[in-house]
Amino acid sequence: MVKIVKKLIYYGGRIVVKRSEKAKTMRKLIKAIWIFNWFNSCGFAELVPLVGSRWDMERFGMIIVGTPRHADVLFIAGYQTHKSLERAKRVYEQMAEPRVVLALGSCTMTGGMYWDSYNTIKKLEDYLPVTMYIPGCPPRPEAVFEACEKIFEHVKELE
Amino acid sequence: MSKNQSDLTSEIKTKFKTDVKVQNRQRIWLNSNPNELIDMCKWFKEKGFVHLSAISVTDWLEKKEYELTYHLWSYNEKILVTIKTRINRKKPVIDSVTPVFYENAQIHERELHELFGVEFKGNSDLTPLFLENWEGPDPFRKDFNWREYVKDSFYNKDDEREKVYYD
Repeated sequence: MVKIVKKLIYYGGRIVVKRSEKAKTMRKLIKAIWIFNWFNSCGFAELVPLVGSRWDMERFGMIIVGTPRHADVLFIAGYQTHKSLERAKRVYEQMAEPRVVLALGSCTMTGGMYWDSYNTIKKLEDYLPVTMYIPGCPPRPEAVFEACEKIFEHVKELE
Repeated sequence: MSKNQSDLTSEIKTKFKTDVKVQNRQRIWLNSNPNELIDMCKWFKEKGFVHLSAISVTDWLEKKEYELTYHLWSYNEKILVTIKTRINRKKPVIDSVTPVFYENAQIHERELHELFGVEFKGNSDLTPLFLENWEGPDPFRKDFNWREYVKDSFYNKDDEREKVYYD
C-alpha cells in the first residue's frame, strides 16, 4: 500500500509513457542546451513566449546564460546591421565548441521586410556559419523546439 | 497670441530684421541666413531658450539646397522657436552650434554629418554614429538610389535564389 502512494507522488499522478529507444540514446549523448541570445529589433518578442509559462523551455533544461562562454547555442533573431554583426561575431568567437547558431525569423534568411535596406545584411550565412534557419515572422515556439530537437539528432556531426 | 509672445516677435523683428511667422501661441517660425545663425542662437539662449530639441536637414533637390531646421524650446515661456536656414547642397558647410548648446547639439550634428554629409565647422567629434565601415554615398540624400546600391552590394544576379530582385 505504501509503495503505491510513493509511486503516485513520484510521477505526479500522471500516466508515464515508456521512453523510446531513440530518446534513450539521445539522453546518453547530450546535455541540456544552454542559450545565448543575440536579438535585434523585434527579435526578442519571438523568444518571450518560449520562456514564459505556456511553452516553458526550462522544463527541457534550456536556460538563457549570461555569457557566451557558457552557451552551446546562439540564437540570432531580427535584422542584423553591419554594426551589430561585428558584435555578433565577437559573441560567436567566445563560444566553446561544438557551437550551434540558430537563426530565427525571415530577417536573418532574406532580410525580410528590410530586403532593400542599404545597411542591413540580407543573408546571415554570408557572415556567420549558420547551423539552422527557423523560418517565420516570428517563428512559432514549436518550430524553435523542433530545431532544438534536430540539434540533438545531429550533435555527433557537429564535432 | 500672448503678451510674452508678441513682445518676443517684435524684439526678433527689430534685432534680426527677418520675417517671423506665428503659428499658434506656442510656436514661432523664422528664417535666418547661415552667417547670422550663431548670433541668433546665442541671443535666444540668453532669452531662456536653453533646450535645443532637434536639428534636422531637408534635402531640396531641385533648388540644390539643404534646409537646416533648429528647434529651440523655452521652459519659462513655453514657446517653441523654429529657425530655418538654407545652405548649398554641393558644399554643405555651416558653423557648429556646439559653442552655444554644448553636447546637446553635438550628437545631432554628428548624425547629420553622417547621413547628409553636412560639415559642421567647430564640432570636435564627427565620427560615424550608426554606420560603421560605410563606403557608399551619404544615405539620406535624395539622389542616393538605395535600391541600386543594395543590388550592387548585396545581391548576385546569377544566384538562383536572388534572381527575383532583378525582375
